[in-house]
Amino acid sequence: MTAKTLTWSSVWNGRGLFETRELVTIGLFSAAAKASSLMLALMGGGMNPLTMILKSAVQSALLVVLMAKVPKTGTLTLSNAIGMLLSFLLMGQHVMSLPVVLLGTILVELLALPFGGLARRAWLAIPMIAISELLVRVINVGVSYLGVREQPGLLVMVLMVSAFSYLGILLGLFGGLKMAKELKHAGLIQN
Amino acid sequence: MRALSRIDHYRGAGRLSLRAETRLMMTAVASISSLVLSDPQALALLLSFSALYAVAETKPKTLLIAYLFMAVMCSVALFCVWLLGFVFPIIRESSLSMAISPFLRLAVTMNAILPLALNSRLTDLAMALGRLHLPGLVRLPLMVTIRFIPTILNDMIQLREAVGIRFRGRKGFLFWLSHPFTWWRVFFQPLIVRLIRSADELAMAAELKGLEPNTEFGGSPLPFSTHDRATMLLAALAMVLSGLAQILVGAHAGR
Repeated sequence: MTAKTLTWSSVWNGRGLFETRELVTIGLFSAAAKASSLMLALMGGGMNPLTMILKSAVQSALLVVLMAKVPKTGTLTLSNAIGMLLSFLLMGQHVMSLPVVLLGTILVELLALPFGGLARRAWLAIPMIAISELLVRVINVGVSYLGVREQPGLLVMVLMVSAFSYLGILLGLFGGLKMAKELKHAGLIQN
Repeated sequence: MRALSRIDHYRGAGRLSLRAETRLMMTAVASISSLVLSDPQALALLLSFSALYAVAETKPKTLLIAYLFMAVMCSVALFCVWLLGFVFPIIRESSLSMAISPFLRLAVTMNAILPLALNSRLTDLAMALGRLHLPGLVRLPLMVTIRFIPTILNDMIQLREAVGIRFRGRKGFLFWLSHPFTWWRVFFQPLIVRLIRSADELAMAAELKGLEPNTEFGGSPLPFSTHDRATMLLAALAMVLSGLAQILVGAHAGR
């Protein structure tokens, strides 16, 4: 699609930015992220630190592979939006943080553009995920502070959970990178 | 898409049979109001209204279990805060009335979430989001995600069984915790390969069927029932009264 036909209305309706096959892939990877976190929570308990690290590692590895499969500006934002909307529908989470997180992720994607974007430099996926996930956690801690502002001691629990999950994200990035290389070698992804 | 659009005629389960839009709105109103309010009396007023909504929409037994679970979680959190008070004395200086505000907020949010989570079908919620003018860019992946979570869970169970046969006698959570790289190699990598193949096949099928990002999934919207209107009125009344309580009582107490 040329830039001439790319209007605000077409972008809003999902035409121009992504093709159907790419949107289906993003949806399927979001489903895998949610299903794996459900599975791991059932296996090891949701609040177990090791399970938290493992859940986040799987989530970020899936994101790395997804961004290698669909190397376009907007993939990260869309994947985050789907995950958060699903959490909202399933558990009513992220009502307050969703708009701020989306704005933050869009900003991260725009910052990657001067470096050539994902299509040209696939390695940009790693800093993009690391920064956006850090941003998500900072915003979540901020929103949690609003909820427990009368008893700030409760925030220590939120900080610990965020720290464990971010450690998992960083570990998952390396696992995802290794896997993306193997998948490229096997011809399953092109980027 | 005809079969999907038929689902639009389904009204949500629960005693009041509310529309999914009403439940979504109640969750958003409860989350935002409870964050804005800080006075315990105002939050208690909001809690009483949200409890009315939860009692009207949820089975008493389910509500009781949820409250018991929340009580246990709050007790653990309070115990941790008490322990932290030895390290940071400033935590012990906060008054009891202010210390209960976070738990009141949690209870308000839980009262709003329970009817949404227990009585609404996911497809119904996704269609409600479509009717609320969610962009087509988000609608299609969201529908795929909702549809494929059970399928992928089933795939994972099959993979776990295959791994169980391969490592017979050594399976169990502790074994996998001590061998994370083996777990990654035998469980996660086959899952990714399977996922990529499924994504390619599904994308091809979607394109061959002419599915586009702006395909409409929802049918014509149903009019709001008396229950929907009454619930919205209750939410507005709760917001106004608790806001007034926050202004009057909070100002009197200097909060």
